Amino acid sequence: MPVAASAIYFLNLRGDVLINRTYRDDVGGNMVDAFRTHIMQTKELGNCPVRQIGGCSFVYMRISNVYIVIVVSSNANVACAFKFVVEAVALFKSYFGGAFDEDAIRNNFVLIYELLDEIMDFGYPQNLSPEILKLYITQEGVRSPFSSKPKDKPVPNATLQVTGAVGWRREGLSYKKNEVFLDIVESVNLLMSSKGNVLRCDVTGKVLMKCFLSGMPDLKLGLNDKIGLEKESEMKSRPAKSGKTIELDDVTFHQCVNLTRFNSEKTVSFVPPDGEFELMKYRITEGVNLPFRVLPTINELGRTRMEVNVKVKSVFGAKMFALGVVVKIPVPKQTAKTNFQVTTGRAKYNPSIDCLVWKIRKFPGQTESTLSAEIELISTMGEKKSWTRPPIQMEFQVPMFTASGLRVRFLKVWEKSGYNTVEWVRYITKAGSYEIRC
Amino acid sequence: MPPPAASSRYPSPSQPSGKSEVTDLKSQLRQLAGSRAPGVDDSKRDLFKKVISYMTIGIDVSSVFGEMVMCSATSDIVLKKMCYLYVGNYAKGNPDLSLLTINFLQRDCKDEDPMIRGLALRSLCSLRVPNLVEYLLGPLGSGLKDNNSYVRTIAVTGVLKLYHISASTCIDAEFPATLKSLMLHDSDAQVVANCLAALQEIWSLEASHSEEACREKESLLSKPLIYYFLNRIKEFNEWAQCLILELAVKYVPSDSNDIFDIMNLLEDRLQHANGAVVLATVKVFLQLTLSMTDVHQQVYERIKSPLLTLVSSGSPEQSYAILSHLHLLVVRAPFIFASDYKHFYCQYNEPSYVKKLKLEMLTAIANESNTYEIVTELCEYAANVDIEIARESIRAVGKIALQQYDVNAIVDRLLQFLEMEKDYVTAETLVLVKDLLRKHPQWSHDCISVVGGISSKNIQEPKAKAALIWMLGEYAQDMSDAPYILENLIENWEEEHSAEVRLHLLTAAMKCFFKRAPETQKALGIALAAGIADFHQDVHDRALFYYRVLQYDVHVAESVVSPPQQAVSAFADTQSSEIKDRIFDEFNSLSVIYQKPSYMFTDKEHRGPFEFSEELGSTSITPEVSSDIVPAQQFEANDKDLLLSTDEKDDNKGLSSNNCSAYTAPYESSNISSQMQELAISGPAASATTTQSSFDFDDLLGLGLSAAPAPTPSPPLLKLNPRASLDPRAFQQKWRQLPISLTQEYSVNPQGIAALTVPQSLIKHMQSHSIHCIASGGQSPNFKFFFFAQKEAEPSDYLTECIINSSSAKAQIKVKADDQSTSQAFATVFETALSKFGMP
Repeated sequence: MPVAASAIYFLNLRGDVLINRTYRDDVGGNMVDAFRTHIMQTKELGNCPVRQIGGCSFVYMRISNVYIVIVVSSNANVACAFKFVVEAVALFKSYFGGAFDEDAIRNNFVLIYELLDEIMDFGYPQNLSPEILKLYITQEGVRSPFSSKPKDKPVPNATLQVTGAVGWRREGLSYKKNEVFLDIVESVNLLMSSKGNVLRCDVTGKVLMKCFLSGMPDLKLGLNDKIGLEKESEMKSRPAKSGKTIELDDVTFHQCVNLTRFNSEKTVSFVPPDGEFELMKYRITEGVNLPFRVLPTINELGRTRMEVNVKVKSVFGAKMFALGVVVKIPVPKQTAKTNFQVTTGRAKYNPSIDCLVWKIRKFPGQTESTLSAEIELISTMGEKKSWTRPPIQMEFQVPMFTASGLRVRFLKVWEKSGYNTVEWVRYITKAGSYEIRC
Repeated sequence: MPPPAASSRYPSPSQPSGKSEVTDLKSQLRQLAGSRAPGVDDSKRDLFKKVISYMTIGIDVSSVFGEMVMCSATSDIVLKKMCYLYVGNYAKGNPDLSLLTINFLQRDCKDEDPMIRGLALRSLCSLRVPNLVEYLLGPLGSGLKDNNSYVRTIAVTGVLKLYHISASTCIDAEFPATLKSLMLHDSDAQVVANCLAALQEIWSLEASHSEEACREKESLLSKPLIYYFLNRIKEFNEWAQCLILELAVKYVPSDSNDIFDIMNLLEDRLQHANGAVVLATVKVFLQLTLSMTDVHQQVYERIKSPLLTLVSSGSPEQSYAILSHLHLLVVRAPFIFASDYKHFYCQYNEPSYVKKLKLEMLTAIANESNTYEIVTELCEYAANVDIEIARESIRAVGKIALQQYDVNAIVDRLLQFLEMEKDYVTAETLVLVKDLLRKHPQWSHDCISVVGGISSKNIQEPKAKAALIWMLGEYAQDMSDAPYILENLIENWEEEHSAEVRLHLLTAAMKCFFKRAPETQKALGIALAAGIADFHQDVHDRALFYYRVLQYDVHVAESVVSPPQQAVSAFADTQSSEIKDRIFDEFNSLSVIYQKPSYMFTDKEHRGPFEFSEELGSTSITPEVSSDIVPAQQFEANDKDLLLSTDEKDDNKGLSSNNCSAYTAPYESSNISSQMQELAISGPAASATTTQSSFDFDDLLGLGLSAAPAPTPSPPLLKLNPRASLDPRAFQQKWRQLPISLTQEYSVNPQGIAALTVPQSLIKHMQSHSIHCIASGGQSPNFKFFFFAQKEAEPSDYLTECIINSSSAKAQIKVKADDQSTSQAFATVFETALSKFGMP
């Protein structure tokens, strides 16, 4: 039985209940106490997100400073439970307008009660689509002042308008200006050995959309993926255009995408929900363009001195630039003094994480930058010779660059009234876990 | 909305109960109740919010119930919602007051606004007050027929709620039949989905006592119905899709075309953004193709990619859930994932629960082609900051070494670990080197030279110390200073806290003595003396046994303690394949996460009697959690095995790390060893007859064993009541009150052991002999059962605790009885029943 929850609790970091909802009577009321004493107050907390205590299982995750705990007594579907929590939080966020944390919960508790009632009934998840829920929810979220919200109060009888066929979109939407925003957000994960070999490298990407379109539009998205292009050229019986094509390892789509059509014609066609949503997710392991190369050299000179030299090279196009580049270079715990020079940006020794943190606000393409540091260590007797060198970690964002090489070839909007639309496409590549061993 | 009153913003357990505030609220509510002034709704809203905020932080506001109900006469939907929320929360505790609410809820159920109808109906069904169910029938009936789908959706779940409050009322009103027709004909997908969920639950609960429900339950799995759902699956939302897929898993396809049809229908579900849908689809595919080996393989290939994507997206918790499932698949079909090993490399910042799973998977998929890379990667983790992960990765290297033929390179790595000079790394490595030597004695030369260089002073962990001592004893001839190291250790006998280490010290001293007698004699003497004086029973017993066997004949002693080496061919799996299959059948559930079948953690029947008495969560002794109970029994079992190991020349403590100490070391049943087994684990009545007179075992026998009553020549035949019943609480109480009237040990016949793969099999068997099980637990090789039986004629109970160790084929029972004079007779009945277990 895919019961996702017998009860759901929202706790703060101290273990106080912020809000709770019991859906079924098969779990006792003092479940939180069990969770508090056996999980929160022990080392178990970070150990495993699913735990059994007594006859109940606790499935929990931490999101900002809130623990969300789902309690079940049956052999529940865990993946479903986690997904439910994630979706629920996304939903709450869309109501609060941004942050989801302890304060947001305290300020919106009536709203959350209302939502919890609608999104799950007797342990079975119901509808979590924000579009549809807007029809049932009477409370308005307390939004942070700067986020504006269009005031369109739903008519009470709007429930009748929800049709089964397109459950994610309301009928009768109308905008003065019809706009579509499409963002391709990639995060690139890298694990490089100290010798410069790529041990593991992949890109997980998302296509995010924001639609402000009237009526019931039909959208079609064309990407430069290999299978799609081949299929297209085959159907139009003309040779494929030359140019870079990429191979997607795996793709998942939002429920609005017509998968039958994707499988037969390899085009992504869909009737979008109103507002913001994640259209698709993909993963690529072959032919990844790494935006940065990192060349570290670390010399331990005797017991009390170390020399660190890190060169970072940007290998994307010269006209582009990376923003918010942070390089974290680990140093031993017993670091006493650091001396460093950088060619660009600023560096700082942060003893709380045992790292040199080197920040470069803007990093142009096809350039390189170096940090050289001398580190003095306190000589200690206890710590034995070897220092386990954690990897260098990097954070960055490169706008208008995709590590996978994915490009949008076209985005077509078709609606029976035939209005004009404006389409905006953006690309950005972020660092996922970008690690270089040294 | 304004934040709740400042005083209540950050509550703490020590906060005052807020009594004065509640009284305040009460009077304010009362004032507003009758008022019709404009703007009164707004002030009501504020008050209601305050009430609910108090309720949320745990202040008891049930005393304003009456006032809340009075204020509920409003057309404002916001107010109504808050009122419903309040009522739902307190109705259960105040059944009398809830009667007050019935009226306005029933009225709201007829409101013209469908939203209010729905909400009122939901609240009405959520009151959960058994004596109010009669008021539910009308609104539910009309709710199911409502022309608004929102109301119908709620009404359907309402039926399920009603069933849980009062099953008979729900069945008598013939709601299930209504649901069934709704499920087949309603146009709204959510209504259909809720019908399916409700019917599945109702019929599977009813099925145990109603044939009709059983048939209905089967009918849910009929071909037309399954196709009806699968063809429409895209109309349902993601959660409902999970529900349908879960149903499809149970469907038995008629032929292979059927299977392919379903798989083609569901193919695109693997691309769904919701991981739960993907997992559910994966389960359908796997289950459908179980009988078709080739296709099953292809399914693995097909699902690999979507699963790997899911792992790399989403929060660590989500990837953990997916990884656990992937782990199960990887272990079942390692070769399919062998080329994807890079996906299981750990990232530095990943939480340790994710890393642990990844390490296990890397271990599982290591083969000739990728071992080098995997081991290199694992060695990186050995230097990890997280000590637990470092240990795990060393263990993983060791496991790979044990499962590969070409261990050459790995041995080098292991020896390099020893040079890292980190205590925990050395400790883990020593244990591994020992296991490796047991399997591949040919490496002894390389290993011993390095191990010999390790100072025993740097090793504190008992397991590692025991491993080192084992090697000292085993390879005494190759390590020049082995006797002196041992002597050193023996001199510090008093400071050695671990009994395990002391046991090994005794054995190692013996082994060393056989090889290098002149150098060891003195140390052995000291060890035996210290051992005999030891307070630990097992150490004492072993020392005494060594002493006597040496006294009897040194050569016999050598053949017992140090026979020629035999390599261990394979270390046994920790889980039986039946259990693994069961977990596989329960794919996409908690079973996979816990790595044990659901009956071990959900079934009430299998929870021990303790569970009912203990405060929530005191798992330390709840037998239902097998991992909790096993170690306790394990400990006993281990100790016994340690005693046995003297003649097997195989010590099993290395295995205690991988739990259940089942291993396939040959049980040589030489004359002496069989005696030793008897000695070690059987009661006196059984062993006395087999003991050979040449040994004087009186002393041993006298140790701590209660004298068993002489068997009554022919106990009167005892008739047991086949329909005996006893609730767990009563059982538990009795178990506590009654003294043990009998303790016995039987051997279980091999057929019985073969049949005892899961506790259920024995439970069923015993039931056919009118002995009922009230709780059971454990997994191979240790099972624990609590049985009870009742005399045919009078209400006199027999309670039995039965511990069966399937690797030693022994059952130990403790009987407690109301009428103690007949407990022997009962034991005979029990033994007879047990002895027939497994017989056709």
